Amino acid sequence: MDVLKESLQKKSKLGYAELRYHKRQTFSISVKDGKIDALNSGTVEGACARILKDGSWGFASSTVLEKEKIESMMENAASLAKSSKPKKERLVNLASVKPHVDKYETVMKKDPRKADKEELVKLVLETDKAVRGFSKTIVSDTVTLNIVDDDLIFLSSEGSEIHQRVVRCFGSVTAIAREKGNITSAYESVGAQSGLEILDKTPLMNAGLIAAERASKLVTAKVAPAGYFPVILENRIVGLLAHEAVGHCAEADLVFGGSFLADKIGKKVASEKVTLVDDGRYPNGFGTMNYDDEGVPTEKTVIIDEGVCRNFLHSRETAQHFNARPTGNARAWNFEFDPIIRMRNTYIEAGDYTLEELAEDIKEGFFLKGGLSGQADFNGEFMFGTQEAIRITNGKFADSMRGVTISGNAFEVLKNVDAVGKDFLVRVGLCGKEQINYVGMGGASLRTKLLLGGAK
Amino acid sequence: MIEFADLAVKKCRKLGADEAEAFVQNQQTVEVVLERAEIQNERFKTHSGIGIRVIRDKKLGFAFASHLSKESIEEACKAAISLADVSTPNPEWVSLPVREKLPKTPEGVFDPEIANMSGSKMLNLVIRAYDEAKHFDKRVVIDDGKFSAILTEMAISNSNGVEAQEKTTRIEGYLICVAKEHGETSSMAYEYDASTTLKEFSPTRIGRTAAEKALASLHSKTTESFTGKVVLEPDPASFILFYPVINSVNADNVQRGRSIWAGKIGEKFAFPELTIVDDGLMPKGINSSSFDSEGVPRQKTPIITQGKLVNFMHNSYTANKEGRKSTGNAYRESYTMLPTIAASNLKVEAGKKTLEEMVSEVDKGIIVRRFSGNVRPDSGEFSGIAKQVSYIENGEIKHALKETMISGNAFQALKNIIEIGSEIRPTEIRAYVPPVLVDGVNIISKQ
Repeated sequence: MDVLKESLQKKSKLGYAELRYHKRQTFSISVKDGKIDALNSGTVEGACARILKDGSWGFASSTVLEKEKIESMMENAASLAKSSKPKKERLVNLASVKPHVDKYETVMKKDPRKADKEELVKLVLETDKAVRGFSKTIVSDTVTLNIVDDDLIFLSSEGSEIHQRVVRCFGSVTAIAREKGNITSAYESVGAQSGLEILDKTPLMNAGLIAAERASKLVTAKVAPAGYFPVILENRIVGLLAHEAVGHCAEADLVFGGSFLADKIGKKVASEKVTLVDDGRYPNGFGTMNYDDEGVPTEKTVIIDEGVCRNFLHSRETAQHFNARPTGNARAWNFEFDPIIRMRNTYIEAGDYTLEELAEDIKEGFFLKGGLSGQADFNGEFMFGTQEAIRITNGKFADSMRGVTISGNAFEVLKNVDAVGKDFLVRVGLCGKEQINYVGMGGASLRTKLLLGGAK
Repeated sequence: MIEFADLAVKKCRKLGADEAEAFVQNQQTVEVVLERAEIQNERFKTHSGIGIRVIRDKKLGFAFASHLSKESIEEACKAAISLADVSTPNPEWVSLPVREKLPKTPEGVFDPEIANMSGSKMLNLVIRAYDEAKHFDKRVVIDDGKFSAILTEMAISNSNGVEAQEKTTRIEGYLICVAKEHGETSSMAYEYDASTTLKEFSPTRIGRTAAEKALASLHSKTTESFTGKVVLEPDPASFILFYPVINSVNADNVQRGRSIWAGKIGEKFAFPELTIVDDGLMPKGINSSSFDSEGVPRQKTPIITQGKLVNFMHNSYTANKEGRKSTGNAYRESYTMLPTIAASNLKVEAGKKTLEEMVSEVDKGIIVRRFSGNVRPDSGEFSGIAKQVSYIENGEIKHALKETMISGNAFQALKNIIEIGSEIRPTEIRAYVPPVLVDGVNIISKQ
């Protein structure tokens, strides 16, 4: 810490400088079919420098934290800024931000640093046992529990000094069912930014039972059909829609590239039932922090307010370019990466329908549950996988089918939203945009229409 | 590097481990990121550290550290042992691999030009790809891309006498382009390539192909839904067809009842001309090396021979469980991870027809150049958006199609292969794959 501060002072002539220190301690348990894989713990520690000189950024990182190394890292970053400048067409200006000297720590009741590891092992083994014992068709399972404990320091030549400690606990269950030559898998996760108390509130066991039940139920089920249908998207999937299909289009770097939302500020882009936000301060959110990796305070940013596009997600650089305020969305995965515009916790605000009420007006459609991976192009064309499609006939839930990938244009899908449920939640997610990062995503179940890429 | 590994193994034995293994990795990356049609960033990255696996009374512990010093290694050794102590025994544990004679380092896996890549040289390389795409046609716009030159050093030591170290290099890159004309924007075209030597890496080919693909999807029309023939280019073919294959021949999945092919060695599962080998010693192979992530010799393993399943892929754990030899498929992406099983270079043997000849055999169908969807590796179900698609009729590409959904089952599709192409390309799932023509795929119009 002192080393970083001294280096920053000594190298103050290089340009605007940011130094970040990051120590990530992890502990993970993985149980496969009742056997512990190997308990795994470790530390990855390093620092990086980002320097802005004459409108050009340079970046370098190091795992060696000695004074000479930090200084040479800063010089490397400065020399990259200088050498790459002639190749850059756009020069960077930063929106001004008040320097902050502050601390943040995840609100915790049970600090994982004091955890009884044997207790945690027991918890995972119990879940594994329940999953395998759920039904005869479950032939295999994997249960994992992870604790990721980040210490972050941000220093800037403008005088910021921010310490943050962010603790995330999360787990997952995969269950595989086999019957009569059929095979299928189901997956469910739990977690939050929290101490270990999150495992009391939303136990790993619940995820295990959801996965086991789903795999057992779907092993002999058929694949859902292809076609355009009215659907209810489960709250856990709505997060994928909010994040993948809409949120990315509001990231100012993609807006700059001409994303769907580029010319839509103040315009109607969704049904008035839809209010969509990216919230940097959502309690226990997987993407919650008080400051981003440029030292900007985070906030709750409203992207779509009752159907109207209001704000984009900014770094200091894009905020200056768009003449907007920085929203605290510049995030880096670790010290090996420079911050880029990322979402934090993205969700659609709750409405007041129950699931039964959402189904009521659907004559022939599906209730889609259990998200798989997704992707979207910046024109709003998206896809993501679903695990289960429960048929809705004349307003009533009927049999379960295997889920398929769904697709559409996010903004058409959002225009077709005519009812939003009250079963609001924000869940854990991982987003890969050049570098991965932890994000929260969520919302409440909602009703719309879209295309199922199913069977004939 | 090997001295750090040896130090860790000795220390763990001293602390009371029955067996110990240390994996040291040092990866140096020079990377250029393109974003919003311009050079966004250039970075030098170091990813290095040690992962230590210990076994005591059949209980396993693992710890890693990013800092390679005597103190941090000793601390990690202690952590690994204390984790083993709180774990429960795995009755199926046999032992870490034993020392074997290693094959020679495969030809062409280390190129000093990549190992010593400078920032400015890398930047020039990227600019060649960039200029090629930009000047190829005025309608082409580059969206983003990333190019990386990577030097990887790996050293492994264990208490059974395994001691190995090797250096490999890789250069890879991708570019995403769209084409714009009269208010129409094509779907995003993606082109990737990778090589172990600088000489054989062509950034201009990436730029040109990405541009060509973007242009090919302009003037798109729609078609009605039908079930029929699809030409899959190497990228979509590897994800849709061969990712489920890799999953199903992974011995860990086989032993745990997760593979549809468990207990079915010798049975026919695919088109009779489909032959797949996993070749960890392939000259200039992207993932070639003389030993795997546990220090076990790499080898060439036939997986599917003329449509017939012949072997599964093992690491030492799954092999020991069956009292057989590992196939050298232990894999760890990073020193922070325990070894799992992965293909080294999964090579789908080439057929005889060029892509044009394959297209000429299609009476009615589509060609898919990019796939964005989900593939369930266990059951083989796939569904998603086919991007960069063109409609084929009477052996000719008629016009581009608006993004279309496709769905089907990979295991069924392996039997429905009509033709395997002659041009093999490295893809992002550790496989070398030619284009493949399959029948019976659901093509779902978005209209």
